[in-house]
Amino acid sequence: MRAILQVAAVLSVTASGMVAGNIVEAVKVESLDGFKCGTPLVKKIKWTPVAVYPQSTVKLNDKRALELHKGAKGKIVEVGALTDGKEIAIVLRWPDKSQDLYKGYKSDLYADGFAVQFASSAQEPEKLPYIGMGSDGRPVAIYLRKAYERVYEPNGGGDVAHQVNPHNTPYFGGALEKFKEEVAQKGTTTYQRAFVSEGFRSMTEIRDGSASYRTDMHYVEKRGGMWGGTVIRPVEDGYAAPTQGEYAVAIAVWDGKELERDGLKRLSGWIAVKLPGGKNGELERVVSEVVSGDLANGKKQFETNCASCHWSRDFQNAPLYMAPGLENIGGQATAAYLRESILDPNAVVVPGYNRNAHPNFSWYMVDEKGNRTSTMPPFNYLDKKSIEDLVAYLQSQKAEVEK
Amino acid sequence: MSKRQLAMVMDLNKCIGCQTCTVACKTQWTNRNGREYMYWNNVETYPGKGYPKNWMELGGGFDAAGDLQPGIIPNIESDYGVPWDYNFDSLAEQNLIDGGSQAAWRPETSPTWGPNWDEDEGAGEFPRDNYFFYIPRICNHCTNPGCLSACPRDAIFKREEDGVVLVDLDRCQGYRYCIAGCPYKKIYFNPKISKSEKCILCFPRIEQGLPPACAQSCVGRIRFVGFLDDEEGQVYKLVHKYKVALPLRPDYGTQPNVYYIPPVDTPPKFDAEGRIIEGSNRIPTEELEKLFGPGVHEAIKTIREERKRRAETGESELMDILIAYQHKDMFRLDHNYYTQVAKEKGVKPLPLVDDRYVAGKYTKPSSLSHFKVHS
Repeated sequence: MRAILQVAAVLSVTASGMVAGNIVEAVKVESLDGFKCGTPLVKKIKWTPVAVYPQSTVKLNDKRALELHKGAKGKIVEVGALTDGKEIAIVLRWPDKSQDLYKGYKSDLYADGFAVQFASSAQEPEKLPYIGMGSDGRPVAIYLRKAYERVYEPNGGGDVAHQVNPHNTPYFGGALEKFKEEVAQKGTTTYQRAFVSEGFRSMTEIRDGSASYRTDMHYVEKRGGMWGGTVIRPVEDGYAAPTQGEYAVAIAVWDGKELERDGLKRLSGWIAVKLPGGKNGELERVVSEVVSGDLANGKKQFETNCASCHWSRDFQNAPLYMAPGLENIGGQATAAYLRESILDPNAVVVPGYNRNAHPNFSWYMVDEKGNRTSTMPPFNYLDKKSIEDLVAYLQSQKAEVEK
Repeated sequence: MSKRQLAMVMDLNKCIGCQTCTVACKTQWTNRNGREYMYWNNVETYPGKGYPKNWMELGGGFDAAGDLQPGIIPNIESDYGVPWDYNFDSLAEQNLIDGGSQAAWRPETSPTWGPNWDEDEGAGEFPRDNYFFYIPRICNHCTNPGCLSACPRDAIFKREEDGVVLVDLDRCQGYRYCIAGCPYKKIYFNPKISKSEKCILCFPRIEQGLPPACAQSCVGRIRFVGFLDDEEGQVYKLVHKYKVALPLRPDYGTQPNVYYIPPVDTPPKFDAEGRIIEGSNRIPTEELEKLFGPGVHEAIKTIREERKRRAETGESELMDILIAYQHKDMFRLDHNYYTQVAKEKGVKPLPLVDDRYVAGKYTKPSSLSHFKVHS
C-alpha cells in the first residue's frame, strides 16, 4: 500500500511540473552482506522519486533508434540507499514494460540496464563534474550493470587455446563436450563493470581489481513490469568519497526495447545521497535549486544569444551538429552548472562527437598540450537578471515525464 | 591520417567468384567464438543485394558537407544469414530400413538469407542482355573511416604506420554505432563477446612478410598489395600512374583504400533474333559509374588503349602488371619499414617467414643479405 501511495505521490509531483527533491537519505542497517533486490532489507529503504530524461546533448547515428526516440519522454526512477558503515548500497527501481535480456546469436539486440555515477568528490557543489560522465579535473566513478544472459571473454586471459573452432580441435565425443564446457566456463553471466571517467571519451574500465563493488538486477512483473537494481561499493575508496557525509550521485537507465545503449539512455541530474548524520547543506541546495525567473524573458534571451548554435524545445534552427542540444538540459544540469557554462564555457568543455564525424562543427579547440578551449564565447556581459531568466528557461527544458 | 597507407587493388576482370579468398579468411579468422556469421572477406555478385542484404541502402558514411550519416544495423537472421549446420546427427542415427524414406539433408534452421544467396543471378534478360560480375569485398581501411568516426568510446583507431583500421577490444563496449557508420557494413558485431570486430588486413602476416590470406590465396591473381607511396610498386602504378584502379562507392566520402579495376570488355548483347549486336557491351557503364565514380570512363579508355598498344607494339607496362606474372611483384610489403617501426616502438620485430614479398620503398631487396630471387 505504501508503495502505491509513493507512486501516486510521484505522479502528482511530476504532473505539477515540480522538480523531484533529488535528495536521498541512506538508511543505516546492520550489514549489507548478501543484500540484493528482493531481500527483506529492501523494506527499510526510504525511496525518493527521481526523474530521468532522454540524453539529447549529442545525436547518435543509429537511424532506427533515432526514429524510436522522437518525442521520447522522461521516466521516474525511485532511488534509495542503505549503509552498514563500511559499504553503501544505491538501490533503484523503475518501470519498464518489457524485460529485455541480451541473449542468443543476435546483432541488433540490446539489453536493459542501469548505471550509478558517483562524483569523486562533492567538495565544491557549485562545480560538480559534468553530468555526462564527468569532465576534465572533475572525475567520476561509474558502475554499470546490464541484463546479459551470458558473455564470453576468451581473450581476457590471452587464452588462445580455447579460441579454436570446435571443428578444428583434435577432440571427439566426450573430449569435445569437455572442451565446449571449458569454453563455456570462460563466460560470465554478470555483465557488470566499473569505470573512471573525466568526460565521456575518457571513460576507462577499471580492470586491475582496485574497485571493489557488486551489482544486482532483478525484474518483476508487478505494476506493469519493473526493474530493481543495486550497486554496493565501499563508503570510501580511491574513486569516490563522501564530503561531510554526502555524495553527489547520478543514475541512468537503458531500455533495450528502444535500442538504448551508451548515450541513448535516460539520465538524472545530480542527486545528494546523505549518509546517516551527513550534513552537506550546500550540496543539497545545489542539487535542488530551482531558479524562479521570468521564463518569457529567458526564452527571449535564448533566442537572441543561444539559438543560433543550440537547440532547445522551442528553437531548432541551428545546424544539427553545431553545439550540444539543450532539449533536456533542465532535467540533467544544476542551475549552478548552467550559470557556470554561460559565464565561463571553458570551465567544462564537453568532448562531443568524434572530431572526424562532424568536422565543420568543432565544439572546442585544442592547443599543443591537449587543453581544450570551448568555441562558445563567454556571455559574462549579460546582466544578472537576464542570466537568471535564461537559467530559469533552461531549467524548463525537459521532456514530459511518462505517467 | 596515417603516415603511410597500405592498399589493395583487385582486378574485377579476372575474379571468377571461386571464394577461395573467402575461405582463406574464414578459416584463418572467423570460424569461431561468435564470428561464425561474419565474412571479413566476401565475394558477391553484382547486380545483387550483396552481403549483408542491401548493404548499399543501409546508410552510414558521410554527406557532401562531411557529416557522418545515420545508418541501420543489420539483423543476423534476415540480413547476414545464420551459419546453419545440417542434420548430420539425425541422419547418422536414422534406421533407413525400418524408418522408411525420411532421409534427407536439411539445414537445421530455415534460412532466408546468407552470403551469396543471390549468386550469379545478376540482371538483364537471358540470353539477350543478362550480365553479372563479382565484387570481392574486404574492409576498405578508409582514410576517413565511418566506423572510427561513429565510435563514442574512441575504441577504433587507424594505425599510424600503415593505415590499417583496428578495433581496440579493451575499449569497445559493443554499442554498434560503428556498424551504422560504416557504409560498406564491413565491421561486425560479435554477439558472444559483445564487441565489434573487423578485417585486420592480416597485419600479423604482413609484419612477417606474408600478404593478407585473401590476396595470397587468390587463384585468379587479382589482388595487388602495397603502399600507396611506393612509386615502384604495382599498387601505386595502378592507382596513381595509370588511374585504372578506383575506389568502391567514393560517394560515401570515407576515402577507401581498396581499389578496383572495373570490368572492361564483356560479351556483346544479342538482338531479338539472337544475332550478336556488334560493339555492344553487356555491363552498362552507368552501373560501373555508380560503383566506382566518374573516373571509370577514363579508366576503361586507358585499359583499352593500352591493350591496343600491346597488340600493336608488344609493349605496355600496364598490361604486364595486369597479367600478374609474379607474386613477388604484386605484393610489396616493405619489410625493413616494419622492422624500423617496431624498433621505434621499442618492440621486437616479428621474424620474417617468407622473403619473397619484402620489397618496398624502404626495402631494396639487395639490401637484405638473406634475400633470394625465386624465379
